[in-house]
Amino acid sequence: MKVTCLSCGMLGKVTFEQTFDTSTKIVEIHHLTKTFGKFTAVDNLDLTINKGEIYGLLGPNGSGKTTIIKMLSGLLTPTAGSVKIFGNILPCKSVMKTIGYMPQETAIYLDNTVHENLSFFGGIYDMSKEHLEKREQEMLQFVDLSKWRDALVLTLSGGMKHRVSLACALIHEPTLMFLDEPTVGVDPELRATFWGYFENMAQKGITVIITTHYMDEASHCTRVGLLRLGKLIADGRPQELKESTGATSLEDVFLALAGGKIS
Amino acid sequence: MMLQRILAFSLRALLQFRHDRRTLAFILIMPLLMILIFGYTFGGDVKNVTVEVVNQDTGLHEGTSPLLPHGLYLGEMIIKNIDEQTLSLHENTNLTNARQTVYDGHAWAAVIFPANFTQEFLSHVSSQQETGPVKIEIYLDASNPTISAAVIKAVTQSIQATLKEITTDLNRTQVEIPIMIDQTYAYGGSDTRFIDYFAPGVISFAIMMVTTMITIILFVNERRNGTLQRLLVSPASEGEIVVGYALAFAVIGVCQSVVVLVAAILLFNISIVGNILLALIVLLLLAFGHQGLGILLSAGAKNEMQAVQFIPLIIFPSILLAGLFWPIESIPSYLQPLSYIIPLRYGIDAERSIMLRGWGIGEIWVDILVLILFALLTLSASVLLLKRKS
Repeated sequence: MKVTCLSCGMLGKVTFEQTFDTSTKIVEIHHLTKTFGKFTAVDNLDLTINKGEIYGLLGPNGSGKTTIIKMLSGLLTPTAGSVKIFGNILPCKSVMKTIGYMPQETAIYLDNTVHENLSFFGGIYDMSKEHLEKREQEMLQFVDLSKWRDALVLTLSGGMKHRVSLACALIHEPTLMFLDEPTVGVDPELRATFWGYFENMAQKGITVIITTHYMDEASHCTRVGLLRLGKLIADGRPQELKESTGATSLEDVFLALAGGKIS
Repeated sequence: MMLQRILAFSLRALLQFRHDRRTLAFILIMPLLMILIFGYTFGGDVKNVTVEVVNQDTGLHEGTSPLLPHGLYLGEMIIKNIDEQTLSLHENTNLTNARQTVYDGHAWAAVIFPANFTQEFLSHVSSQQETGPVKIEIYLDASNPTISAAVIKAVTQSIQATLKEITTDLNRTQVEIPIMIDQTYAYGGSDTRFIDYFAPGVISFAIMMVTTMITIILFVNERRNGTLQRLLVSPASEGEIVVGYALAFAVIGVCQSVVVLVAAILLFNISIVGNILLALIVLLLLAFGHQGLGILLSAGAKNEMQAVQFIPLIIFPSILLAGLFWPIESIPSYLQPLSYIIPLRYGIDAERSIMLRGWGIGEIWVDILVLILFALLTLSASVLLLKRKS
């Protein structure tokens, strides 16, 4: 069944009855599957994420986290199943304006200044000059880089580059953020700072979907999904998951559910 | 297509080059360097070739003939008319010694006028007998064809100049001169130098090289750094990305063309006969097409190292087959058809026609059409390539 996206006119493929509801469901994932050749990276995933949540996709390397994020942000086309964002079935260009995406890589232009990066990413989101200037100042303050506005990104430290990358993902005021392993290769201090940013974002009503393989980080999330071999093996509040399995940490929860095997 | 987004792409790329001074230097100085190196090494006409001259011509003495009361020393006149810049003449009275000098490699040629040169010439002219042509011997070290050609050209030109002088002298006496070569030129002239022929090609080649290389590297980096993913998640379309970069390359292309053209005019006195604006448009078309090619090739490279490997693949066919140094007619006929698939060929052909012949769109529309098609093809293919998702 082919259905045209009502808000932008793009043709999307759906395998279920399309309904537009006004609830707080931000992301609705139905039977989502992605295979690369014989390898199934994501296996029949069903998940709904609500407004204001910090949803942590948790799992070891190769469990399908990044593949899920890429399908949610429209970078990969699902083999089967579908993704609805704000009630619109992907692919849908008009939804893109409301999405912020921070890839695993730093993904900013090294040969440009911090300011040039921010105004470039603002520019491709059609922001007006005044709005962009105001927003740029806010973002620089938010990630504490006001002093480095005119520094070449190349000359910044690794942690600063990560902060610029986050600011670039937030410049257009997205209401839904995808963060793909934002804390990999980041020192403990900055990791704490980053989780502070993320909680701050959620308080402002931004829905945050984050992938990580650091089990200890997941306690910051309002809800976590444990992934193993492309399958969702548990979904709930961190506290609930611990209680239901009698484990003391999410790592133990994972090990209990995975039958003692991490991969 | 949104202009604001397109301009955001162009501006970002241009600002990047402002910060990356080395790359900026590469963009502007490489074409300049190319025209300088090629211009001075290939383009210079042969100069100061050492030549031995043996003039045994006794001439026609004063008062011997009523027709020429002042006498005639034809050998001497021809020697005097030889271009001193091309040939550095050394008069030698000893024939054997002169030949030996050439044989020993101390001179490139010996020009020998026989003893009865003037007399034979005159008897040939006046009696119109079939005595056979009057001969000058040139004993050549032909190991360097360019130099040999220059020697022969200089002597021939001098003979022609001398004959012209005598014609006016002898015309009063109603004598006809049997050999009279009159050269006319469709384009250029006797002062057209190799650099004139070469400059339009170098400019086209430089634009093509820089655009292809920079685009490959830029897009390999876009992919590797993850910025491309960010762009694809944004509302910007693939078409806007490609057009945005194309605009940036248009700005770069214009700067490059201006630098090279100014250098060519100031340093090599190149005269551009045709419309400069048309020449610029052709260069931009060439840049657009190769930008598309660069994006396509970037998909085949995982890192800068692999990207660099494409460069010789592009350079050599272009240098050898597109008519940059040698006319396409001079490459083996079985290779000539290959030149048709090299876009640079059309760019060079169009630039030469505009700059040297002063041709307009009416004459070079085929070249322009091919370049437009090439640009449309590669740019739309690169939009599709960016759209392709796994």
